Amino acid sequence: MEAVLVAAGEVGYREASVRAILEHSGGHRAQFYRHFESREDCFAQAYATWAQRLCVDLLEAAASAPGWEAGVRAALVDLFRFVTRRPAIARALFVEVQIAGEPALARHEAMVERAAAALDAARLEIEPDLAPPEATGVFVVGGIESCVCEALSAGDPNRIWEALPELMHLAVGSYFDKEAAEAAFEEASIMLERDRATLLGEAG
Amino acid sequence: MTRLRLVATAPEGASTAELGPMAPVRLPPGRHGLPADLVRANQRQRMLEAAAAALAEQGYGRVTAAGVTELAGVSSRTFYQHFEDLWACLLAAYETEAARLCEAIEGACAAVGVDDGDGARVGIAAALDFLASEPTVARLLSAEPPPQVTVLAAARRELAERLSGMLRRVLAEGGTTPLPGLERRLIGAALALVAARSAGGDPRPLRELEPELSELLLVSL
Repeated sequence: MEAVLVAAGEVGYREASVRAILEHSGGHRAQFYRHFESREDCFAQAYATWAQRLCVDLLEAAASAPGWEAGVRAALVDLFRFVTRRPAIARALFVEVQIAGEPALARHEAMVERAAAALDAARLEIEPDLAPPEATGVFVVGGIESCVCEALSAGDPNRIWEALPELMHLAVGSYFDKEAAEAAFEEASIMLERDRATLLGEAG
Repeated sequence: MTRLRLVATAPEGASTAELGPMAPVRLPPGRHGLPADLVRANQRQRMLEAAAAALAEQGYGRVTAAGVTELAGVSSRTFYQHFEDLWACLLAAYETEAARLCEAIEGACAAVGVDDGDGARVGIAAALDFLASEPTVARLLSAEPPPQVTVLAAARRELAERLSGMLRRVLAEGGTTPLPGLERRLIGAALALVAARSAGGDPRPLRELEPELSELLLVSL
């Protein structure tokens, strides 16, 4: 199933024909259609497997960090590592999924909701009368996704690291306040400066 | 209902002036003595609207030039007289609607004046009103185009930049200067939220999003 994601990530979903997928995976058309109803079905199933795996990794990274804010930062670092190490798969999961038909899109929406629900853990630390809008989780996930899409679409996945402070500001500012957002921006900038060589080196 | 409107012929007795210069109504077939420029403009407008409608219905993965011509009620020959290919048509539709969205926002902000201090909220409400009243346009402007179609990806980037610039300007008028690049991330998040909320085909909830979106866009700046 990885083949459909690699093919879509490399040449785009519109061009990723069953033939192109089979060039990556080997095998025959008949075998393909024994497993999948269509290319759309194949993409949706592959998406579900990989997105689930990525989601679990990010949630584990967040859970092993001390506190919500450190958890978001750890999850972003983990996500950026994935984007830079597996750009073709990342491109399929974040960019091509948008055009790969309803079954994949429905699974993508479920993933967004799941990530938004995880971010909503911040609400436990917020007084009820200061609660942020209901759409906050989806808004923040959308901001992160659009940033990932931009870097991948530009063919320069490494560029995503530069957005770490801004995305921390977006996440923290959307749930808490301006002061907390600016502190999170500062902290992420310092971390990025300190670990830049390691982070970018890993990506290579 | 878009489909019906696109292929309907002009009601009897209605002049083109009454319909508006760009009304996307199919002109009567055959010899009608209408100026060639008017016919061309009408055809083009119908195809632009059809492109947005076809995209909303089929998404970037499935939309085709044939689907657009069928919806617009024009021949394939006519389509290619106007546009080089499907992407050129979608690009023209995107640019037209992006310009209309920006005009709607700028118009609303200009109407309240700079001293009001509430320019950003007015602009956000105007944007959501515009998108809520045009479901297919909301999908066209917010959906991520395939990156391989570089002209469309660039048009979307340009819209995001333009909206970011507007947000920055209106905030500056209210005495706030966000950190560089931050408004771009916020606009990215806002466009993704609009895409998520208009994906179901019912854009009405977009109007109700104004207080939430205003808070999300402005609270951290």
